[in-house]
This record gives sequence, structure tokens and C-alpha cells, in this order.
Amino acid sequence: MTSAEDEIIRKRQRDRARITALLLGAFVVLLFFITIAKTGTNW
Amino acid sequence: MPTLEMTNPAALPADWRDFVALTKPRVMYLVVFTGLCGLLVAPVMPPLVLGFTAILCIALGAGACGALNQWYEVDVDAKMRRTASRPLPAGRMERETALHFGVGLGGFSVLLMGLATNWLAAALLAASILFYVLVYTVWLKPRTAQNIVIGGAAGAFPPLIGWVAATGQVATLPVLLFAIIFLWTPPHFWALSLFVRSDYAAAGIPMLPVVAGAETTRRQIFLYTVPMGAAAIAPWPLGLTGAVYGISAAVLSFVFLVLAGRVAANRATEPAGMGAEKHLFAYSVFYLFALFAVLVADRWLA
Repeated sequence: MTSAEDEIIRKRQRDRARITALLLGAFVVLLFFITIAKTGTNW
Repeated sequence: MPTLEMTNPAALPADWRDFVALTKPRVMYLVVFTGLCGLLVAPVMPPLVLGFTAILCIALGAGACGALNQWYEVDVDAKMRRTASRPLPAGRMERETALHFGVGLGGFSVLLMGLATNWLAAALLAASILFYVLVYTVWLKPRTAQNIVIGGAAGAFPPLIGWVAATGQVATLPVLLFAIIFLWTPPHFWALSLFVRSDYAAAGIPMLPVVAGAETTRRQIFLYTVPMGAAAIAPWPLGLTGAVYGISAAVLSFVFLVLAGRVAANRATEPAGMGAEKHLFAYSVFYLFALFAVLVADRWLA
């Protein structure tokens, strides 16, 4: 594998890691608000 | 993004944009919109975050359907112009990755729906995903020209799921909304399949124009429009909606019927002469958007 190929792979891995981190963060925030909504009402 | 011929393409991880493409985001608009309308016309309004989560789960479930559909149909997609550039047939993603992504996304959407709203909504979401993947994609689509008639049920679930997510129970109005989309699907897809017939024929998909010919398809489009219009208007005389919805549904359905009549009268065999079919296809998308938007407006005006 050439260094250019290696660089592309690293870039994609970085991009995917960033997206995964963002989605996980959003999920945590969503779960927090779901919990507030579920415990704060009788709905 | 840098482009380079890889000496070992399998070593290249799929780009995140290809995961988004796997969910067929352009198809998702209608699913999300009808699901949202089902939720908005329900007599109980859930807290905003729970309503948002319900719609998010419907969108994720639809995304899972898209991913699993592309995983299963990779050979078919490779044969059609319209789909050959998708991530799997274009070789930008491994097939197994799409399967894992689809199953994971589907399971996640059902679990989140159950935890955030109620388990009846989650069960309906699971049923719609399984119906789309197993009954439509795997069983019906490659075998029978009635594939989208029965398979249309999968796309009809969202307003029902939206309603149940808000209320926890099934009622007459969301069942009618289910029926409207169920009966709308054949004319919508058959209009499309008439002018992309060669694609379906090349891929060996037994769509109605491929199996029974254009004339039969055009007649069936017109015939299905009648019960579809009846189902669309039905909530008004049943007292489930007001006159704003009823009159709008009647006008929208009448225009649909006129356009379907033009399709029935068309004798063109080449896509270039299928202006009537293209108009009907475009109008059918507008029809469903408009019908559901008016339904919400009617409920909120009342």
C-alpha cells in the first residue's frame, strides 16, 4: 500500500470517527430530553 | 476528496456519504411527511421531543429499509441506469457493511420508538420494516407484477405509526390514511414504470408494463384511481374531518382522475411520447403531499 493510499484510508477513518462522535453526542442529548419529557409528564 | 486508483480497493473504508446514500434520503421525504401528518392530526399531542423522536424513528426505519433493499438488490441495481451508481453496485462499499448498517439502523429505530413513545408504535414500525424487506423486496418484487400492489402496504404505515406514537392506539382515521397511500402506490409506481420500462425489463423485474404491457398498465392506473379517490374523500362523510379537507380531497382526486384518464388514452410506446405518464407521476407526489397537508390544516382549523 502506498503512502497516498494510506492517507486516503486515514482521512476516511477520521471522517467516520467524527460523524460517529457527533451522532453519539446527539443521541445522548436526545436521550436526556426524552427522559425529562417521560418523567415530567404523565403522557 | 482525493481520487486514486487503489492497489487494494477492499482496504478502503466506505465514505460516510455512501452510508447516507444507502438510506435513500430522497425517498424518505414522503415517508417522514406522511408520518408527521399522522402524528399532527392525532387528538393527543405528545411533548415536542417525543414527537420529534417518533418522526426520527420513522425516518431511521425508512433508512434501514433503503439500506436492506440495496443490500439485497445489488445485482438488479447494477443492471439499471437509474441505480447503477449506488454505493454497492459501484463498488464503493462492501455488501456485508450495508447489511450490518441496515439491520443495526432498523433495530435501533424500533427500540428507540418503543422506549420514547409506546411499544405498539414500535411493533408497527418493526412490521413495516419487515414487510418492506421480506414481503416486498425479497418475496414479491422479483416474482409478481402485483409486487407494488401488496408491497405498497409498507409505505402506507407511516401515518398510522405517527398516530399510534401519539395516542397509543389505532383508530379509523389513521387506517383510512393507510388505505389512501396503499391505493395511491399502484398508480404512482405504474406511471413511473411505464416510462422506465426498459430499465425494469433489463433487470428482470416483473413490473406490470413488462409483464402485461402498457395498455393494461394504463387501464389499471385509471381503475386504481377510483378507489384511491374514494378512500381520500371518505374521512369527510364519515365525520372524521371537516369540509376544508373533504372539498380539497375531492378536487385533488378529480385532477388525479383526469390525468389518469389522459394516461389511459395515451398509446405511446416510447418514453419520449409519455408526457401524460410523467405528468401523472409528478402530480401523484404533489397529490399525496397536498392531501396530507390539507388534512393537518383542516384539523388545526377546526
